[in-house]
Order: sequence, then C-alpha cells, then structure tokens
Amino acid sequence: MNISNSDILLLAHASFGTMGCMAALWVFVEALNARPSNAVRLQRAALLTAVCMAAAWICGGYWYVRFYPAEKLIILKGPWPFAHNLFMETKEHLFFITGILAFLLPIATRERLYSDGPGRKLVLSVAGLIVITGLAVEGAGAAINHGVKVSLLHNESKGASR
Amino acid sequence: MNSGSDSESTKLTATTSGFVLAAAVAVLFNTGLAWAKDVSPRLNDFMKSLGGHHWTTHGLADLAVFLGLGFIFAKTRVAEKIDPNRLIGALVGAAVIAGLGLALWYVFV
Repeated sequence: MNISNSDILLLAHASFGTMGCMAALWVFVEALNARPSNAVRLQRAALLTAVCMAAAWICGGYWYVRFYPAEKLIILKGPWPFAHNLFMETKEHLFFITGILAFLLPIATRERLYSDGPGRKLVLSVAGLIVITGLAVEGAGAAINHGVKVSLLHNESKGASR
Repeated sequence: MNSGSDSESTKLTATTSGFVLAAAVAVLFNTGLAWAKDVSPRLNDFMKSLGGHHWTTHGLADLAVFLGLGFIFAKTRVAEKIDPNRLIGALVGAAVIAGLGLALWYVFV
C-alpha cells in the first residue's frame, strides 16, 4: 500500500468539504424547526460547518499550491482540458464564496431564530447557499479528477496501439 | 413563543447585519478579482509575489475584505439601517451573481 501525502491531503479536503455541506444541511433543518430548546445545538452545528470548511480550505489550498501543477499538465495534454480551464478555474474561486458564507453562519445563528423573524430567514438562506455552492465545488472536484484519469487512459491507450 | 419585543424579532443585530453586508461585498469582490487576474498577468504576478501563489493571496484578500468590512460595518452600525429582508436579498443575489459570474466567465472567456 502506497498512500502519499498528496493523497491524504486531497481526500481530507474532499471529506472536510462534504462534512461542511452536511453540517450546513443540519443547520438548515434545525433552523426550519427553530425553537429555544435547539438554539445551542444549532449554533454548534454552524460552528462545525465553519471549522470543516476552514479545514477543507487549508488542506485543499496546500494541495492545490504544492501538488496540483503536475496534475494540471496531465489534464491539459488529455481529451478533457476543460477539467482545468472550466472546472478547476471556477472551483478554486467559487470555494471562496462557500468559505465566506461558512464563516458568516456562526455569526448569523447568534440571532434569535425561533421568533420567525429575519434571523431565521438569514440562516436558512446562508445554510442553503453553502449546501448548493459546496456541492457544486464537490462536483467540480470529481470532474477534475476524471480529467486526470481520462488523460492517463488516453495516453496509455495511445502507447499500447503503437 | 416570542418573549421579546416586536422590533427585536424584525431586526438583525448590528454585528450580524454588518457581517451580512460585508459578505455580500466580499463575494462580489472575489469574482471581480478573479476576472481581473484573468485579464491582467501583471496583477496575477503581483499577487503571486505577495503570497507565494496568486490563489493564496486571493483567499487572504477575500478574508481581509470580509472581516475588515464586517468589523467596520458592525462598529458604525451602517448596515443596521438597511431593511433586513433587503439585506438578505442582497446577500443571496450577490452570491448567485458572483457564482454564475465565475462559471460563465470561464465558459466564454
């Protein structure tokens, strides 16, 4: 078994991102049923969202700066150059929006949400946007990964046919 | 069960409204900076020289805008004067425009 630091970082990035999306969904559901008794649980779920997204940011950021350039070259030589030109370019900047919203969520959940005022509407909006943009980023990650795979398969099949 | 006054339930606190407005500005700033880096290799190189990688500097700049403006808006209570529903609408609108702005930019440009 040969698991490199690059593999660990990349899997940690995707895992933290997924957990952040799930925590945001948890906040959304708690906010739909907001009442005084679940206020603390809701705030903890919002904090978990922010912590997971921060961890995804750090792991993914280090991997992107340190290890991605080699994969970018592989993608651009293959049949799916848009895996970088469209998906990675969009993902690397869209993630910042998810991150900012995730850092806003613990602040928003300090509002009194069970009174059905704008605080509840704000938390539902922010948590919903985190889930949507977070899943878009996850999907883009899968497309980038597939861009590397089809490039390697393409080059291997070319080599085998010679 | 609402034990507070009506004004409490129809308003956001100064801190929350300040950071909501800051987040709306920060997500638009993020997309604007991505566009600017794409059309200006000089800006891209300058950002690389600041943080070691343009993406690192970009992320730190976004955080600085969000946190910096958030504290300023919260302290000056400027965002508290905006109707909360309009403020939430502005944040959602900014996130949608910024997200679509990124995707469409990299599709067509």
